[in-house]
Amino acid sequence: MDKRMYQLVAAAVLLFADPALAGPTEAPHDAYLYIGWPNDGQVLPAGKPFRVWFGLRNMGVAPKDVKFPNTGHHHLLIDTELPPADEGIPSDRKHLHFGSGETETMVELPPGRHTLQLLMGDDKHIPHNPPVSSRKVTITIR
Amino acid sequence: MFREITFAALATASLSVAPAATAATPSPPNAEAYIIWPPDGAVIAGGKLWVRMGLRNMGVCPKGVDLPNVGHHHLLIDTELAPDAQIPSDRNHLHFGAGETEARLELPPGKHTLQMFLGDHDHMPHDPPVHSRKITITVP
Repeated sequence: MDKRMYQLVAAAVLLFADPALAGPTEAPHDAYLYIGWPNDGQVLPAGKPFRVWFGLRNMGVAPKDVKFPNTGHHHLLIDTELPPADEGIPSDRKHLHFGSGETETMVELPPGRHTLQLLMGDDKHIPHNPPVSSRKVTITIR
Repeated sequence: MFREITFAALATASLSVAPAATAATPSPPNAEAYIIWPPDGAVIAGGKLWVRMGLRNMGVCPKGVDLPNVGHHHLLIDTELAPDAQIPSDRNHLHFGAGETEARLELPPGKHTLQMFLGDHDHMPHDPPVHSRKITITVP
């Protein structure tokens, strides 16, 4: 499936999704989550950890289990799609949790193409309503 | 005699209480706050900018929440930092008590300094204090 098709499917899913399929915590409608580094299409050297910057506007960061309006904590999705929006974000090698309120991290990936995407979770690791996620970037390690 | 004992007791009490009252929230020794953007020396046409606040080896947490190894950002504009006092809240000391990691600024023409300073749940600096290098930007 090419990129445009993906976007169409994503749009259709968003349009027809049951509104109940979202977490119980509200997010500001202008919340903006983005990967500040690396850039989409970036080529990075193999065998060397690189830093990933978590960018967030119109919303704040709070560690897990802290309930504070308009906040959440970062999750970095590696080589995977967004998980269901109404359940806790999985915790495994493809879903890194930053429950201490971290706003950047170091990652080392094997050679090849990889995707990175950010997703905010609420105090219980559940995506917000509406979900706050970044654009997915593709990087190449070689 | 009785008076001396009272004095002694008072002195002991105040001595033992004093360190607890002034103990600052500890920060991890490798914690580092830094301004991701703008770079030092940047020229910002129009004076409107987003400041991206970076933090390493420590986490961001809204004010009022007392957890280990966290704090919230303060941005000091055109002022010096005072590492021993509660961070003031005024036009030169912007507080980001809701856990924000970016700040929208509108600055008048001229030279301006920016510096980040992390505060604990009570807006007090940590021990050791966590702050960024001070940078200078110019609005033409």
